[in-house]
Amino acid sequence: MEMMLYFHAMGLRRKDLSFLQSGKAVEDNVNDVMGDYSEEDDSESVSESESDQEDVKLAEPSKTAIYNREGLVEKCEDISWPENVGWMHKLSLDVDQEKEVDVNDDLARELAFFTQALEGTRAAFDKFQSMGLPFLRPPDYYAEMVKTDAHMQKVKGKLLAQKRQIEESEERRKARDAKRIAKEVQAEKLKERAKQKKQEIEEVKKWRKQRQQSGFKDGKDGMPDLGFENGKAFERSSKKRPGVSRGDRSGGKAKQGGGKSNNKNKKNREFRNSKFGFGGRKGMKKQNTAEMTNDVLAFNKSNAAGNRKRKR
Amino acid sequence: MGKKRKHSETQTAEPRKKDEGAPERPKRTLMGWKDKDEVSQQTESTPDSPQVFRNKEKVMVTCSRRINYRYRHLMLNMVSLLPHCKKDNKVESRSSKGATLNELIELRGCSSALFFECRKHQDLYMWMARCPNGPSVKFLVNAVHTMEELKLTGNHLKGSRPLLTFSSNFEKDAHWKLLKEMIIQIFGTPKEHRKSKPYHDHVFVFSIVDDHIWFRNYQISVPHNESDKMVRGGLDKMTLVEVGPRFCLNPIKIFAGSFGGPTLYENPFYVSPNQIRALEKRKKAGKYAKKVKAKTRRKMHEQSNPLEPDEFADMWRE
Repeated sequence: MEMMLYFHAMGLRRKDLSFLQSGKAVEDNVNDVMGDYSEEDDSESVSESESDQEDVKLAEPSKTAIYNREGLVEKCEDISWPENVGWMHKLSLDVDQEKEVDVNDDLARELAFFTQALEGTRAAFDKFQSMGLPFLRPPDYYAEMVKTDAHMQKVKGKLLAQKRQIEESEERRKARDAKRIAKEVQAEKLKERAKQKKQEIEEVKKWRKQRQQSGFKDGKDGMPDLGFENGKAFERSSKKRPGVSRGDRSGGKAKQGGGKSNNKNKKNREFRNSKFGFGGRKGMKKQNTAEMTNDVLAFNKSNAAGNRKRKR
Repeated sequence: MGKKRKHSETQTAEPRKKDEGAPERPKRTLMGWKDKDEVSQQTESTPDSPQVFRNKEKVMVTCSRRINYRYRHLMLNMVSLLPHCKKDNKVESRSSKGATLNELIELRGCSSALFFECRKHQDLYMWMARCPNGPSVKFLVNAVHTMEELKLTGNHLKGSRPLLTFSSNFEKDAHWKLLKEMIIQIFGTPKEHRKSKPYHDHVFVFSIVDDHIWFRNYQISVPHNESDKMVRGGLDKMTLVEVGPRFCLNPIKIFAGSFGGPTLYENPFYVSPNQIRALEKRKKAGKYAKKVKAKTRRKMHEQSNPLEPDEFADMWRE
């Protein structure tokens, strides 16, 4: 019994105790305690039900709740304004709520509030119009607002950013689709061209075979119609580059990319070599040591250590 | 001296004033300057006296110490929404809270109070009280969204009088009616208040869903084509943009006195957040306990039903 209470009081330390101690006695106690807890849990779980956001509601109302109806009504009359006070003071509107709104469905709930506000406003607008009083704010009325201009700028910025994000994603999607389609079209075109080429070669082969079979006697009459005479021979191909002579082979794609990066890399490379490199001609730094300057006579016979000090 | 608003009480105030020596200034009413005699005659003769009634409501808004940043911003939002409020310093003590607060309210000359109490840096309780001897309500506040959230894009004039809309369930029960009355008096800006602005460009929504009071604040926006004051045909194109803040109130208790007194109403479905947290912890504890139990059960089972020796145990012996 004491063990149970002890365990109950030390919430976390129960774990430690059960690890340290071993033996059946502890297990029995643990079983007893667990039994109690599981019962408690069951009863609690039956009587509790989740409602909105961390707010748990009892399924059966507690029996001890006080409800003093007469007191409530009395107090209400106490504090309320006299009945003949005009509506202008209260500005309260009652809006009929037709159906029950599910609390957990956010969209439906907000929609219900929105419609309530809208209907209330409409009713108020009618009343104000019938009384001939101004209701809506004219556009040229400037006064202090409840949110500062800086804050509204931030709001605007956020809205614009959202819009821009949406647009960008749309554009990206469109570009992706267009690319895919273009690729397909390109593939089609290449296939066409390959087919065309193959066809032409086949035709030429056939013609040659034909000529061979018929013994080369036809001369130039049986030349295949290869489309030379169509008048298209002197048309330039569409892939022309103005200002470049025909034999110019400089504009290849591979060369272009290489050339560009070469220039930049060379400068970089030279710079880096001069700064960090080990080999190559560095600035002529001082190469003499005190011993060597003193050792004028023994210059040639200086030992390897002295020579090593000089840069090679 | 508390400001008296009730019809009967203004009548009793007047004869007292007549006793003083100097001639009193004619009483200012909504319709202009009138002599007191005229006014008293009018009030006695005609039953309707909207001319005499002036909404002199003043709300004191305070909070407790150790309040969270979110709830502090909510309180500041409320201060900006109610031009007839007075913000006061943080209230310190926990014991004799009611007496301190009542004194403060009297000192500032207010007739109601909104007190935001934050417990354990997590739970926000809001008290709505009527000062001298009126009822007071304690709410638990959930689902707080302040005006600073960038998703709430509306804006309205600071100090313009709001339209208060209530869902029809406020008439269903006595305690809802009382709450409705208190809300009208506290959240409604008085008509000729110094800081109030003329037009009506925002709406408050109070609706009861699932026994909670949900609060929303919308800006009324109508697209203006002409420069008329009355927008013709604009009624159809009227839209509402949410300004904020948003919160949800769970009534806990209604007391007959201000910050104390006999309980008039207790919410039968209310579970305090402490209890909820305790329950969660207990459930978790139960999980571990069940695991331990299952382990011991397994061990017992293994001990009582020993396995047969494995034929292939030494097949791979090296």
